[in-house]
Amino acid sequence: MSIPGGSAEDRNLIVRASRGDVEAFSRVVRDRSGFVYRVAQRIVGPDKAQDASQEVWVRVWQRIQDFRGESAFSTWLYKITVNACLDARRKDQRREARELPEEPPYLPEAPTSDNDPESSALNRERREEIFESLEYVREDHRAALVLRHMEGLSYEEIAEVMDVPTGTAKGWVSRGRASMLVALFEKGKKGKGTPGGDAEAGGRP
Amino acid sequence: MPSVESERWEFLERVGAYAAGELEGAEAREVERLMLETEDNRRLAESYAQMLALLSALGQETPEAPDAMVNYAIRRAYVSATLRRADSIMRGLAIDYLGALVHYLGLRPSERR
Repeated sequence: MSIPGGSAEDRNLIVRASRGDVEAFSRVVRDRSGFVYRVAQRIVGPDKAQDASQEVWVRVWQRIQDFRGESAFSTWLYKITVNACLDARRKDQRREARELPEEPPYLPEAPTSDNDPESSALNRERREEIFESLEYVREDHRAALVLRHMEGLSYEEIAEVMDVPTGTAKGWVSRGRASMLVALFEKGKKGKGTPGGDAEAGGRP
Repeated sequence: MPSVESERWEFLERVGAYAAGELEGAEAREVERLMLETEDNRRLAESYAQMLALLSALGQETPEAPDAMVNYAIRRAYVSATLRRADSIMRGLAIDYLGALVHYLGLRPSERR
């Protein structure tokens, strides 16, 4: 088996883990647990990231013997992580129908003195607002949006991870962006009230 | 014929693609023209840019995985590997035992002749 990408030591570890070597698997878990947890946090939200990450590692252990090295290990791991997170999200649907607002979806100004968007991202309330708004984006659109704008993947990479054509990946990111903006706008209008529902389910054909 | 709602979503998505720097040539110029037309369109593009900057800044953060999660994953793999080995030993023993029983009872086709 040849594994594209990563150092020789990494590749060796993965080959050993795929043959059932638990020591090697433990090293893989320790080296990549931050990556899995980070992606899970972005797709399922901070509250459910730990459970989703555990499910990812259970699946990785069950399937690593089938890993043939046809793609980079990181792509394979992304795929398992995204699928486990989507399954977790589907179990916990809280979306309701909602239509596009009449007024254009402007964001309320970031609560910082200099109004610099990047520094406002470090504000705890703003961070919560972002994660809460992501909750209202349809799960596959949310995953594509996270992979594009938080993980920095190309559309081709997103398509490979999500097992869809590149055009579909582009469409999902685009819809995810629009839905998130609408959700942020609605949150800004309502303040810190109860979440109201899916930003796109009712409005998007 | 596309509905008004559908057209509004498409417009929203187009401005989003522009804010993300994904439009080129005539498509980009068309959105720029629309932005010059109304203050609403300009603010929409600014809101997108602000949202994308927030997502990108959050994307730079690297949260640590909780130790409990890492330990759970490793412990589970050890237990699973032990069970796999035990299963393999038990299967081996069962096959040996069955083979001995067949031999003892003289049930092997070659021995019955």
